[in-house]
Amino acid sequence: MGSRRYDSRTTIFSPEGRLYQVEYALESISHAGTAIGIMVEDGIVLAAERKVTSTLLEQDTSIEKLYKLSDKITVAVAGLTADAEILINTARVHAQEYLKSYNEEIPVEILVRRLSDIKQGYTQHGGLRPFGVSFIYAGYDDRFGFQLYTSNPSGNYTGWKAISVGANTSAAQTLLQMDYKDEMSVDEAIELALKTLSKTTDNSSLTYDRLEFATIKKNKDSGKIYQKIYKPAEIKELLVKTKIVKDDDEDTEMKL
Amino acid sequence: MSGYDRALSIFSPDGHIFQVEYALEAVKRGTCAVGVKGAKCVVLGCERRSTLKLQDPRITPSKISRLDSHAVLAFAGLNADSRILIEKARVEAQSHRLTLEDPASVEYLAAYVAGVQQKYTQSGGVRPFGVATLIAGFDPRDDTPRLYQTEPSGIYSSWAAQTIGRNAKTVREFLEKNYDVAQAPESTEDCVKLAVRALLEVVQTGAKNIEITVVTPGSIEALGNDEIGRYVEAIEAEKAEAATQKHGAASATAN
Amino acid sequence: MDIILGIRVQDCVIFASSKAVTRGISVLKASDDKTRLLSPHTLMSYTGEAGDTVQFAEYIQANMQLYAIREDTELSPAATASFVRQQLATSLRTRKPYQANVLVGGYDVATSSPHLFQIDYLGTKVELPYAAHGYAGFYTFSLLDRHYRPDMTEAEGLALLRQCVDELQLRMPVDFKGVMVKVVDRDGARQVEF
Repeated sequence: MGSRRYDSRTTIFSPEGRLYQVEYALESISHAGTAIGIMVEDGIVLAAERKVTSTLLEQDTSIEKLYKLSDKITVAVAGLTADAEILINTARVHAQEYLKSYNEEIPVEILVRRLSDIKQGYTQHGGLRPFGVSFIYAGYDDRFGFQLYTSNPSGNYTGWKAISVGANTSAAQTLLQMDYKDEMSVDEAIELALKTLSKTTDNSSLTYDRLEFATIKKNKDSGKIYQKIYKPAEIKELLVKTKIVKDDDEDTEMKL
Repeated sequence: MSGYDRALSIFSPDGHIFQVEYALEAVKRGTCAVGVKGAKCVVLGCERRSTLKLQDPRITPSKISRLDSHAVLAFAGLNADSRILIEKARVEAQSHRLTLEDPASVEYLAAYVAGVQQKYTQSGGVRPFGVATLIAGFDPRDDTPRLYQTEPSGIYSSWAAQTIGRNAKTVREFLEKNYDVAQAPESTEDCVKLAVRALLEVVQTGAKNIEITVVTPGSIEALGNDEIGRYVEAIEAEKAEAATQKHGAASATAN
Repeated sequence: MDIILGIRVQDCVIFASSKAVTRGISVLKASDDKTRLLSPHTLMSYTGEAGDTVQFAEYIQANMQLYAIREDTELSPAATASFVRQQLATSLRTRKPYQANVLVGGYDVATSSPHLFQIDYLGTKVELPYAAHGYAGFYTFSLLDRHYRPDMTEAEGLALLRQCVDELQLRMPVDFKGVMVKVVDRDGARQVEF
């Protein structure tokens, strides 16, 4: 009740020095579909759970949680997809502008910071509400190698080895803390991401149509960086391979 | 109150600008930062928010930032807000060099940062910065250590030793008791030690949650975890010794 | 009639620029430095409209220093050259473009290799083993074409530069008051006696 006076309009300080609009934006994200990022020595895995599904949704063209920002950076979204799209567009433009200026790929942190600065602006300038979106950025640059960051509506950003955002994030983070090992391979990271999501999901089981998945890997021989956002069929395969969904699942049978 | 704290930053009938006062509260909620002037150096120290297990310290942004080759800034308050101030100060520092062919003095930078903060207490449709800063460094061709503080209101001031953020009161009392204004710490080591001791008043977990940057004429150096760890160990050993002595004295009188 | 020359050899880049400042028929100064250090390992020499050149060079320098302070790292010579080209190309499409032709060169610490770029006010950028702007090229490229080898040492590079400068002194119709020579290698930039 006491906070009502401070939460109705633009972002201003409450008497305790808090920004309620930002806190509410964070709250809205804590209901969004979970996203997980795991970084290991030769790659990063991103996995995200989609909340709304329908058998009528076109699976192939309905990616809504994972986006490529540049040739070496992919982002996972938790929160309002519409807000996210605005920032993602801006990020893509920034990435290309950097490339145009310096003829080099944008370093991951610079892009993360640019987006975070925009988010910050929306917590300080009049008449605007903060962006209701958190990101997990997975990227690579020559200076720091693979990097994993998160940013939230306040405009703060942090670097991680493994991180989750969205619903059930504390449960997911506990699981990640237990099972993450520095010397894991990408395949093990994929397994850990899927296991974590399947354990924290609010639904009875993790199915391919609820899941979005991406990896960034480095080719050992050529040193080239490969980004991949998985297709529904590949996610299906992945779930079977990691034994999260059994091969002879009746659900699959029926659709065939 | 009746609404004078709602519209962004305007006076209430009794003369308060509530948004600025509330911004100060945001500063008090931020992690602690201290600055200590030595005879030939300035030391900035920060409490680092407890690093969570899977955080990557390699790429997590530091709370102490370089503004130019001769000045650094530490802050308490909202991280994201501080980035904006730092960015503006960095651009101003280079712009000063470009137009005046000389680096800006530390006071100029402090006044500039404070000026930006002031603007955000009086412009339409913006809230103030929820950030206080400590700016330390040396003026060009000068070996006098400089230390300034800026606040959300836009005030800036010069200090021998100062602290901002959470538990600032405790730390300031410690500094007031342990810093001799007539005789600044002679060596860099003593200066770092005083800063670390001050931080240890409020930082429980020791070296891994402390950041230290030492500024001397012509150099800005961030200390590594190991080095800070050695300071912490030395201080804790001294404390333990003092405690046993006290204890011994106490039991002696009891007898 | 300013002279700016650059030669990339095995592990450094050599810059030479004429020391004369002339206006009309008068020499105003005989100790000019037509270079700016953009970052510890990248140097730019310039020629063109007086005033424009220095204004542009110092603007680029400030931007590179800003980048270094922000990111706590220096840009490679190639990235710097790219930035310079982009600025000139943007400027060209304004009402009053910078009339500056530059050489950007330096030592890439990440790949341990020297690089030299020639960029003109139109935004043409070329990476070259040796480069010049203005008349200097006409007198020296034949010498460089004949004697240059990519595996030359710094001393050999300086000796070749000596030949070039002698030729310039012999054939140029004006006195350019000698050249200031700078070398950029893995340890950064320094002026050398010449």
